[in-house]
Amino acid sequence: MPLYESVMQEKPPIVLDIGTAYTKLGFAAEAYPRKIIPTTVVLTTTGVTKRLFDYVGTEQLYDQIVDFLQTIFFKHLLVSPKERKFVIVENIFGQTIIRETLARALFIHFDVSSVLFVPAHLIALSTLAVPTGLVVDIGYSETTIMPVFSGVQILSAFKDHSYGSCAVHDEIRRQLVATGVKEPLLTSSVLEDIKIRTCFVNSYERAQARASSDQTQPPPPPPSVDYAICDGDAVISIPGTVRESVYELMFEQNNERDSLPHLILRAILDCSMDVRRALIESIFVIGGGAMVLGLLPRLKQELQQLLANDSYYRERFHGELQFKFYNSIGKQNFTAWLGGALCGATDLIQTRSLSKESYLRNEHVPDWSNLCDNRHGG
Amino acid sequence: MSFMQPSPVKYACSCGILNPINKLFFCRHCPKLRCGFCVCHEIESHFCSNCLENIPSSEARHKKNCCANCFDCPCCQHTLSARATTVPVVRKPEEPKDGESGAEATPSPKPSAMPTTKKMYYLSCLSCRWTTRDVGIPDQGVATGTWPDNECLYQARFNTLMEYYQSVVLQDKQEKQEFLRRKTPKQHKFPSLTDRTGLTVSLIRRQIGWTEKSVPKTKPINIAPAEASAEVEPLPEDIFTQPINLRNITTVAQRHSQPADQPTAVNKLYPQRRSLWIKRSLRCRQCEHNLIKPEYHPTSIKYRIQLFASYHVPEVIMVRCEQPLQPGQSNAILLKLANPTMYDMTISILEAVPEDAQINTDAFQQACRIKEEAITSSPLLKTTGVTLARQNSTREVKREVRELANASIVPLESPFVLSQRDDSKEFDEDVQAPIEEPKFIVWRKGNKVLIRLQFSPAADLQPGNKVTLGFYMQYTYVNTVSNTPDKKDPTTHALYSRIFIEAGEIAPQTAN
Repeated sequence: MPLYESVMQEKPPIVLDIGTAYTKLGFAAEAYPRKIIPTTVVLTTTGVTKRLFDYVGTEQLYDQIVDFLQTIFFKHLLVSPKERKFVIVENIFGQTIIRETLARALFIHFDVSSVLFVPAHLIALSTLAVPTGLVVDIGYSETTIMPVFSGVQILSAFKDHSYGSCAVHDEIRRQLVATGVKEPLLTSSVLEDIKIRTCFVNSYERAQARASSDQTQPPPPPPSVDYAICDGDAVISIPGTVRESVYELMFEQNNERDSLPHLILRAILDCSMDVRRALIESIFVIGGGAMVLGLLPRLKQELQQLLANDSYYRERFHGELQFKFYNSIGKQNFTAWLGGALCGATDLIQTRSLSKESYLRNEHVPDWSNLCDNRHGG
Repeated sequence: MSFMQPSPVKYACSCGILNPINKLFFCRHCPKLRCGFCVCHEIESHFCSNCLENIPSSEARHKKNCCANCFDCPCCQHTLSARATTVPVVRKPEEPKDGESGAEATPSPKPSAMPTTKKMYYLSCLSCRWTTRDVGIPDQGVATGTWPDNECLYQARFNTLMEYYQSVVLQDKQEKQEFLRRKTPKQHKFPSLTDRTGLTVSLIRRQIGWTEKSVPKTKPINIAPAEASAEVEPLPEDIFTQPINLRNITTVAQRHSQPADQPTAVNKLYPQRRSLWIKRSLRCRQCEHNLIKPEYHPTSIKYRIQLFASYHVPEVIMVRCEQPLQPGQSNAILLKLANPTMYDMTISILEAVPEDAQINTDAFQQACRIKEEAITSSPLLKTTGVTLARQNSTREVKREVRELANASIVPLESPFVLSQRDDSKEFDEDVQAPIEEPKFIVWRKGNKVLIRLQFSPAADLQPGNKVTLGFYMQYTYVNTVSNTPDKKDPTTHALYSRIFIEAGEIAPQTAN
């Protein structure tokens, strides 16, 4: 009797994963988010759409968050937030001001009963039912790498870099403008559309051949695409070289040695010796940026090549090492949300949440990085 | 009231945010202005915006806030409409029957003259011409109700994961309770005999032959953890040689409208059930009275309770400035005021907070404190704990009114009376005897008056700067709701609103 059960059940907690570009929202114990919406607010005064996290001053951020949550509750989820439980999937190195403002909006403006903050990397692993993994989150503004061993995040080995989808958009714009496309045509939505519909990650061999093209003939580029921009009433041609080369910035070889494969290897090296093999064999790539075609084979080959040929890593990694990757259930762009939905379905929502009473006592969200909250025994 | 362009006249809400009057509400019980930010929004009813069917909230929750009958186009998010076609029905089972019955059936011309047809339905988008036939969904015999839902591929795995984590957490909880039980000191003052003799309760029970008392511990169910593999899906080889057709690749919006599988190919798009819409009711956070309560039925656009500010607060309309705005030069602005209420109002325009206007709002609220009164009294609401929620009302987020005014006004020398609204008066002949009017009143008719307010913009403004004048408008408000039984007469209050008017920009310097 599903209807009876659903009536009798307590209201399911709301699970939110507010990303820089897209927000995943839905209810706990459901297998996929209800909606994936852009993280933007429409300003009531001017009608301009702007990103949620573009702000000057805390009060403006607070107003924007209130507006955004209001849209989520009354346009998308259609539930009253009052007396609800929440799971918020958060970046563990996210800004304190955003976290505090979000909590203030939820508790004070919307009167919610409890909020459970869960770290995105850790909770993403729960969708696999494994305790150990190297979680690589390719988001909009940054790519973050967090090793997790036996359910414990190894914070000292955390790595991040600014190449996310945003950097890819800039690269597409740069290359297209260089071919003579007018820049005003390339709005961010057009760039995103070009990226997801035409671009892919080149294979390792072809990328190497292109990089060292002086002696040999570079491989023929993939066919170019004519792309119609509806708003601009124009058709632009996207050359095949653009299609295959925009993701090269993730694998760029430079003296900083901070491309994605380097970061992964350095994150593993920062962990203690006993966990390294386990991490190498359990790489989990999540985030919207991970959904591009050809990312995993390229990443795997780059990692293996670095291990074999780079003297720095050869000295430190020994034995037969094979990089192994997990396949996510569902799509990668809501994997972290899915973890939150699993977490919200358990009893943890009762025991681990920050309740309204304890928040109102001193209007502060406990944080792992805050010494006041971490003293043992209060 | 101009709907298409932002109004230059802004009222300061009691929470400190500036809004035009058509976005404000007026709580009669407080009595204060409220805006969309400082009221509590509640969901009144769910309905489908396409078929206008009212859906009870429990059913809406069960159906995941989607309409059962209406679908959205996965291509352009427009509503799909069902289209009927007639298809000739091949009557398979009848043919052998005809053969059996033999000679008398075949000569009759009936079957050939009456070809049987059947109505079949498919869904089609009238905006982008997408149809369910494009993706291979078979036509249905009935227009609504039988369309297949696309299943979530990993639902079974998700359910196992969920059960697994629930049992893990439950076991964790039990262990913690067990630990606490052991740690708590014994309640008895004296050690029990069994402790001395080494007999534990469970041992005795076993000796007697009873069963174990302790509840069976929940064991976490086994789950197969995901396997990492060294094999990754390679890039398809033909991507380097085959031209791609953008028409066959979905856009971001199309993918996100189908969050479960987010197809990349157009032929994987499925019709999406249409999201429901809601009717909202608004409640004052301070006194918990309803400000807006719509009628329940989705086809009705009327309200059961509507406390819009424009029904209670005199409306100020900016007409024009008399001269071009110059910094430091005295100027005058013409304002039209209208009284929307059924009672005469005494209005004064002041520069600072009126002192006598400090009505004892607390006492007033006490007077109209709700005693489970009849305004929102559907019995269902009462039982479901709305009364309970009333006790812990949310705190009002109050902020200071941002000081925007950069012009000084000359307050009007005397208050003036604005007569009540009378719709029939609009059609009367103007027979008003010319009465002695104060100097600042330019024109008066019915419940409207045109006043002339002198002001001077600040001297340090540059050409192009916006001139904003701010003032306090004090008005008498006759409150007709009083829930106290002893006071039946309407009470009159002197209220005030803070008003900011964008008079325009400083005129460019003329060559003089």
